Amino acid sequence: MNAEQKVLVRKVCAHAFVIGFLILVLVPFVMVISASLRQGDFAPSRLLPDKVSLDHWKFVLGIPYQEVVNPATGETRMVKAGTPPLLWFWNSIKISLVSSAGIILLSSTAAYAFARLRFKFRTTTLGALLILQMFPMVLSLVAFYVILDFTGQHLRLIGLNTQLGLIMVYLGGISNYIWMIKGYFETIPASMEESARIDGASQFQTFIRILLPMSLPIFAVVFILSFISYMSEYPVASVVLQSSDNWTLAVGANSFLYEQEKLWGRFAALAVLSGVPITVVFLLCQRFVIGGLTSGGVKE
Amino acid sequence: MSFNGGVPIRQILVALVVIPVLYLVFNIYLAGSFLVALAMLVVTCLGALIYLCDWGYTYRYLFPGFLGFGLFVIFPIVYMVFLSFTKYSSQNLLYFDRSLALFRQETYPVGNATYTYKLYAQDDGSFILYLEDEKDPTKRYASEPFELKAGEQLKEEQEPGILRALAKGEEPKGKALEVAQVTREKLFIPMRGRQFSLPDGTLVGMQGLQKFASRERLWTINADGTLTNKKDKTIIRPDFKQGYFVNDKGEKVGVGFRTFSGFDNYIRILTDPRIQGPFFKIFLWTVAFSAISVLSSFSLGMLLAVILEWKELRFRRAYRTLLILPYAVPAVLSILIFKGLFNQEFGAVNEFLRGIFGFAPEWETNPWGARVMILLVNLWLGYPYMMLICTGMLQSIPDTLYEASAIDGSNPLVDFFKLTLPLVLPPLVPILISSFAFNFNNFNLIYLLTAGGPKMVGGGIAGETDLLVNYTFNIAFRDSGTNYGLASAIATVLFIIVGFLAWINLKMTGRNVKI
Repeated sequence: MNAEQKVLVRKVCAHAFVIGFLILVLVPFVMVISASLRQGDFAPSRLLPDKVSLDHWKFVLGIPYQEVVNPATGETRMVKAGTPPLLWFWNSIKISLVSSAGIILLSSTAAYAFARLRFKFRTTTLGALLILQMFPMVLSLVAFYVILDFTGQHLRLIGLNTQLGLIMVYLGGISNYIWMIKGYFETIPASMEESARIDGASQFQTFIRILLPMSLPIFAVVFILSFISYMSEYPVASVVLQSSDNWTLAVGANSFLYEQEKLWGRFAALAVLSGVPITVVFLLCQRFVIGGLTSGGVKE
Repeated sequence: MSFNGGVPIRQILVALVVIPVLYLVFNIYLAGSFLVALAMLVVTCLGALIYLCDWGYTYRYLFPGFLGFGLFVIFPIVYMVFLSFTKYSSQNLLYFDRSLALFRQETYPVGNATYTYKLYAQDDGSFILYLEDEKDPTKRYASEPFELKAGEQLKEEQEPGILRALAKGEEPKGKALEVAQVTREKLFIPMRGRQFSLPDGTLVGMQGLQKFASRERLWTINADGTLTNKKDKTIIRPDFKQGYFVNDKGEKVGVGFRTFSGFDNYIRILTDPRIQGPFFKIFLWTVAFSAISVLSSFSLGMLLAVILEWKELRFRRAYRTLLILPYAVPAVLSILIFKGLFNQEFGAVNEFLRGIFGFAPEWETNPWGARVMILLVNLWLGYPYMMLICTGMLQSIPDTLYEASAIDGSNPLVDFFKLTLPLVLPPLVPILISSFAFNFNNFNLIYLLTAGGPKMVGGGIAGETDLLVNYTFNIAFRDSGTNYGLASAIATVLFIIVGFLAWINLKMTGRNVKI
């Protein structure tokens, strides 16, 4: 075998491996789509649905449809979701968007102080931020409950069972993002800000007018990463949000899968309808995310 | 202090924030939460000073972020550590004061006058209570309108409602609700907590669901803190070690209260066999799960990254896009999808295996099957992140290195282990550690995929696949004896472990890049 043949064999092997692996990765997605279109409630198990029906999609979209109650007599009834499940997707989008915007606001200002200003206990605080954030959010639930129960008594807008309350809790998790943004700020030379200062700009102006516009890529990364993590957050949302019209996607999707009755069809339809847009947006932004992950990786 | 073009924008903004906050603080103070109001006042003043005085300049950037961090990260930790030194569970749920108040509310029937009752619903949603003496129907009474929330147990001790005698022929206003209706609408629950006083001063309260009877308080509170039962003259005293009131024989009476327990919860983790057994088993599984997850997803991610870095391979971009799909889909959805695919009877995985190999692993009922499933799913979820990180690392290695090694007559495998890995691994170590720490607390995966199942034999609420964080969550929220104190102690231990990992991580990165 000469060198050229060797390379060819290697190439074929590489393609075969990657394609084989891709099939493993992609089959679950195909099966979910098929389960969402399949009549009846079956766990995802087929590539193609045997009996196609749009009932599950209609249910998720909040459109009433006829369901056969008794196949023998052909008796039917109208079914319509009390809370249209797509509302949960919308709630999740709202909560994640607002939380991510808040995260950017809070962490970029703090990161600025850590990157450009000097103050006592700076390095200690930075380290403490990282270590304290390691405390799993799930185990803070008792405390979250106490806090929101209290605030709810005085300000009904940010109590238990309010989306604003959940957003407040989410805004606590800023320390990883402070680290990421701080790392990026430090790669930008301070000389431009210094010369602006000499020209008479205030410190705050150099932050807003010079540093922030130059740091847009890292903000994109932070926004996308925090957005994704909030879209998937389950335990805190499930405790804070109690009524079904307030639920997020994660809480609502899990509610279809009771121990006793697993409504796979509806779950699959919801997963497809809400998963597809998020995935598409992520893939469109992947350049940012990859850049952010790798640069953050080297630095942290 | 500088003025921007004559308009003190900053001062106005501070005032716009501070004034409503002060109003809120005042309201909280009026509602009786003195300490919270004080803390809020201090923080508000500090904030105002930071934004108004020149010395606070640096902290203007930090204040909002730290406020959120303090409230939602630091406070919960402090609170958790505090709880870990207390006896606080479903048996010891109330504060001492509340527990005492319950004794004070307890009454017993005296005399033999009983009354039938009706509730009159008013237009504004309030109710009037109507009583009629069973022996002498001319004796009839009615209360003032009062609020009742269906199904709600009264928390505070209420002043007795005043009943006035009704003249002959006089009927209370509103729509009468019969007893059956009161029961059905769960109005009897808040009614039980209420007392009413007749015009002659005797107290009446509900007896069963049907009647009212004159009652008297059961317990007298003595000066030394003990309580005396008026009926049988027994004396009970609070035992702050047990968190219960006990009588002379040492038997528990009434409901327990929260109390300090020192290191009891920690000692229980180490010595109580019902906790200790599962705890160490779960700890081992947690470590194994995290280590295997990191290693497997790293190896697979690295392998794929290396293949896709091969410049002569076609379709690299398309492959990469498809390969990061698992990272793009919200993890909650993918985890739940896998729950369906691995369904023991009807799931795709077992249908496939049954069809091809004629065997179907027990993913749900066999502990090892469940563990393998969890690791496979976590590999699926975790490799894209590792692949992305490794790709970034590989791209930072200059091509000239490989060219030099090619001249020396090397092959790809040797290149990888002798050249690439030693270059790439050191900067990756912190990422591997933080990935380990993340998986150590990977609550979502276990909770949504197996919910800890199958149950550990003789392990109480512990499941074979529970991670420490899930086990703690179960003890706090799902156990039949909801035990916040014990859960907090385990959470504190967990935090120390993970915090230690984070600290090591910090030290290691500190060497590479100066903070």
